[in-house]
Amino acid sequence: MVIGLEEYLVVAAILFGIGLYIALSKRNAIAVLMGVELMLNSVNLTLVAFSRFSDTDVALSTQVFVMFIVATAAAEVAVGLALAMVVYRNRHTVSVDDIDLLKW
Amino acid sequence: MSDVGFHLAFWSLSAITIGAALMVVVSRNLIHAVVFLILSFIGVAGLYLTLSAEFIAVVQILIYVGAIAVLMLFAIMLTPRAGRDNSETGMRLPALVLMGLIIAAGTFIGLETDWGSMRGEAIDNQARIIGESLINEFVLPFEVAAVLLTAALVGAIALAREDPEDGSLHYASLLEEGLISPDEPSDAAPLSGTPGGGD
Repeated sequence: MVIGLEEYLVVAAILFGIGLYIALSKRNAIAVLMGVELMLNSVNLTLVAFSRFSDTDVALSTQVFVMFIVATAAAEVAVGLALAMVVYRNRHTVSVDDIDLLKW
Repeated sequence: MSDVGFHLAFWSLSAITIGAALMVVVSRNLIHAVVFLILSFIGVAGLYLTLSAEFIAVVQILIYVGAIAVLMLFAIMLTPRAGRDNSETGMRLPALVLMGLIIAAGTFIGLETDWGSMRGEAIDNQARIIGESLINEFVLPFEVAAVLLTAALVGAIALAREDPEDGSLHYASLLEEGLISPDEPSDAAPLSGTPGGGD
C-alpha cells in the first residue's frame, strides 16, 4: 500500500470532525477556541497534502495560503482569548452556557 | 514513497495526532487538554514533514506550539474561578452526530474522488520559492496580513488591559476569593477609590 493523498485527507477529515465536536460541545470558551484551532490545523493539513501531490507548477502557492491561515489563526486566537478575559473580568465565568446576553 | 520508514512515520504520526485530539475531548482537566492539544499540533507538524513541507512544519511548531498553545495556557491560568473542568454542554449529542457526518463525508470524498495525476517527487528548495513568491505575486496579501496582525495586537491589548481607574475590580475579586484579607496591604490594592466598588 502506498501512502498517497487519500490517507492524508482521511486523517484531516477525522481531525476536523474532532475539532468540530470540541468547538460545538465544550462548555469553556477557551476549550471552544481549542476546537477551532484543531479545525484550522486539519484544513492546513489538507492544503499541504494537496500542495505535495498536486501536479501543477503553482503547487507551492498552497503553502503560502497555509501561512496566511496560520497568521489569521494567530490573530484570531489573540483577540478571542482577550475577549474571554474581558468576559471573565465582568461576569466571572467563561462558560458559554452563562454568556447568553445576546440570546433571544 | 512506499518504504517501511515512511509508512511507520505516517501511521505513528497520524495515531499521535488523532489520539491526542481525542484526549483533548476526554481529559477532564483543561490544563491537560491544552497539553494534549500541543501534542496534536506537534503530530501535525510531523505530518507536514512527511509531506516534505519543512518550512510549514517549522512555522507550525513556532506559532502553534510556541505561541498559540502558550497563550491558551495563560488564558486558562488567568481565569481561575471559571473552573478547570473540561465538561460538555447539552449540545453534546447533536455535535457527536455532526462530527460523524463530517468525518464520513470527508472520508468518502477523499477516497472516492479521482484526484487526477499525482506528483511523484517533492519540490526542492521550497522555503526559497515560498519566500520569493511572498514578496512577488503575494506581496499585497502579505502586507494585509501584517496590518491584520497589528490590528489584532492593538485590539487584544485594548481589550485585555485593566483600566487603571478600575483597579478596585481586581481587588474585589481577590477579596471574594479569600486570597487577601481586607486590612492586609497588597499590591493589588486600588490606587484610589474604595475597594469592592466595581463589578
